[in-house]
Amino acid sequence: MTTTATPQRAPRRRSRLRTRNTLLGWSFILPNFLGFATLTLVPVIVLFYMSLTNWNIFGTSQFIGLDNFTRLAADGSFRTAFVNTIYYSALHIPLTIIVSLALALLLNNKIRGVAFFRTAAFFPYITSIVAIALVWNLLFSPDYGPVNEMLRFVGISNPPGWLTDTNWSMPAVVIISTWKDMGYYMVLFLAALQTVPRELHEAARMDGANVFQRFLNVTLPSLRPTMFFVTVMLTINSLKIFDLILVLTDGGPGQSTTVISQFIYRKGFEENDFGYASAASVVLFFLCIIVTVVQFMWNQRKSAR
Amino acid sequence: MKRTIIATAGIAVGALALAGCSSGGSSDDGVAEDGSLTLTMSGWSVETTPEFQLLADAYSEKNPDVTVEIVDYDPAEYNTLVTADLAAGKGPDIITQKEVKFVTTFQEGGQLLDVSDVELPDDIGGAESYVVDGTTYAVPYRQDSWVLYYNKALFDQAGIEYPDGSWTWDDYDAAAEELTSSLDGANGAYAHSWQSTLQGFANAQNDADILAGEYDYMAPYYERVLALQEAGAQESFNTVTANQLTYQGEFGKQKAAMLPMGTWFVATLIAQQAEGEADDFEWGIAPAPQLDASTTGTDQTPVTFGDPTGFGINANINEDKVDAAKDFLAFTASEEAATALAEIGITPALLSDPVVEAYFAVEGAPQDELSTFAVQTHETRPENPTSSKTAAVQNILNDMHSAILSGSEDVDGAIADAEERVASEVGLD
Repeated sequence: MTTTATPQRAPRRRSRLRTRNTLLGWSFILPNFLGFATLTLVPVIVLFYMSLTNWNIFGTSQFIGLDNFTRLAADGSFRTAFVNTIYYSALHIPLTIIVSLALALLLNNKIRGVAFFRTAAFFPYITSIVAIALVWNLLFSPDYGPVNEMLRFVGISNPPGWLTDTNWSMPAVVIISTWKDMGYYMVLFLAALQTVPRELHEAARMDGANVFQRFLNVTLPSLRPTMFFVTVMLTINSLKIFDLILVLTDGGPGQSTTVISQFIYRKGFEENDFGYASAASVVLFFLCIIVTVVQFMWNQRKSAR
Repeated sequence: MKRTIIATAGIAVGALALAGCSSGGSSDDGVAEDGSLTLTMSGWSVETTPEFQLLADAYSEKNPDVTVEIVDYDPAEYNTLVTADLAAGKGPDIITQKEVKFVTTFQEGGQLLDVSDVELPDDIGGAESYVVDGTTYAVPYRQDSWVLYYNKALFDQAGIEYPDGSWTWDDYDAAAEELTSSLDGANGAYAHSWQSTLQGFANAQNDADILAGEYDYMAPYYERVLALQEAGAQESFNTVTANQLTYQGEFGKQKAAMLPMGTWFVATLIAQQAEGEADDFEWGIAPAPQLDASTTGTDQTPVTFGDPTGFGINANINEDKVDAAKDFLAFTASEEAATALAEIGITPALLSDPVVEAYFAVEGAPQDELSTFAVQTHETRPENPTSSKTAAVQNILNDMHSAILSGSEDVDGAIADAEERVASEVGLD
């Protein structure tokens, strides 16, 4: 014995229900949103304002317009940091994708001990960053480190200086960073690989496709959503890289591994120039946003096909 | 039923929010009714740095109605944390100046009270570092300077004469190379990776101002160190950074016969030898090697560098506590406090004879005359000029330091780059 409601009563009841549902939804989101708003959103909005001032933490700030940005454009250190960040990302992103995808493909089979290998591959991701920095510094030590000992053993008489050489420090950092991140992205790829329908593989095999062709035509297209997610996350994290470089080389030797985040930290916390540091943060923010938007548009176009 | 749950939840959230918004400052601000005061003082690693508690207790003994409370901060992030507290209005009454680089930050931010009227003993070292535009903003209680530590046992083993206070850098280099060739398993010298290990001496001994933006005078120092590294007389900079070597370990475990380091190491070495962490061997202190013969010898005053550690007063301190705070500052700079500090191995800013006697009366301290001379007689030039540009310039010089010593850039090229960077990024005075 339900709906014998008159037309006048139905809309009111529906809107009351909708209001109630909306309020319920908001009350679920509210705690997290409050945290996000106070700890992230409001500081970011204040950041935009700070970048237009010359605040140095004490007292009042003066509005100086775009002076900080013109100073950034002329700052050789910032240019170096910017180039280093792009250099790091350009090396790190493809290398990590290839390595983690390869690992995922390898460990997607039901071989014995696969759980152990998966754990071993994931382990670097959860290790303390300071421990990683200490150990890798020792490993890469130019005169006494095992890596160079092995290289000399194999016959390379002049092995690179790794973290102590301005030309090799960034590649060394990329190697360590890839080793650290591959476990996480491997897990994502593993999960995605499990969803590839086996019938597609069997159909392809029956049509005479070899392993490589199957990979290109069946696996990769099925992985596209995960690949997109991994690329976006990797890009953003690479552009923002900070803690690993700080503990490994502190931007050295010279300025060969100084990246934008570290430039921001130095200007803000070591030299107390918060307005200037905020301007650099705004530049980093827009860099990440533009790159992400481009990736989204690229993905839209590909998936529309 | 559902409505009551929602209502209860809503009230709970509201109550929590209100509780969180409670006012923070309803304390009596350290001034009690009977006139007794509490002064808060910022310190770091209070357990392993006994000087703060020592000064606090000594002052309270002399002035029973004043209690000095120490607020412990993390040593690695001390300046950032104190800055945050000051910006929030919750800073300590007495602000310990850990690094001269930050004095102008506090002073320009209006956080330091003018303490020009606090009387200081005549010969106190390091007081100029706290003067900005003719006004004094802090008072030094401690001033470390850099000296040369040497391992007497290793010198005897190699059959080489101890430093006698007349050394220039050339003498030092020659001794390092001789020691390395005569010793088995130990190097002649050890130079820690800090920029100050080299640049501090270069700046002080050439009477240079790093804010002036010219650094040619550093070239000979760098060339000497590179030559020493090449000759194997000391560990290379790259090995020191990659293997994270510690100067305490290298000297304490007799892996190096000579070590230029600050006087703070005296207390550490004595303690480590007492506990068995460091080897048991006889060691001494010599004045730092000089640039040329004009300042060598025990009848001259050797030139070295160092920065003071001092106390400033929070500009927002309660009016009634200002006199007690200034009195505390005067006490920490006095001979009485200096003697107490010397007894626990701290190098006070005031180095009068009784103070130095107390310093070397500690068991395990070297007893020879040269050591006393090295610690007491020196012209200590500031490591960091007191200016808001110092931090930025030092960062640039640090980049130059690692570029040269890692072998990545040649000396002249790196110096030219640093000069350019200082001119364009920081601006010259």
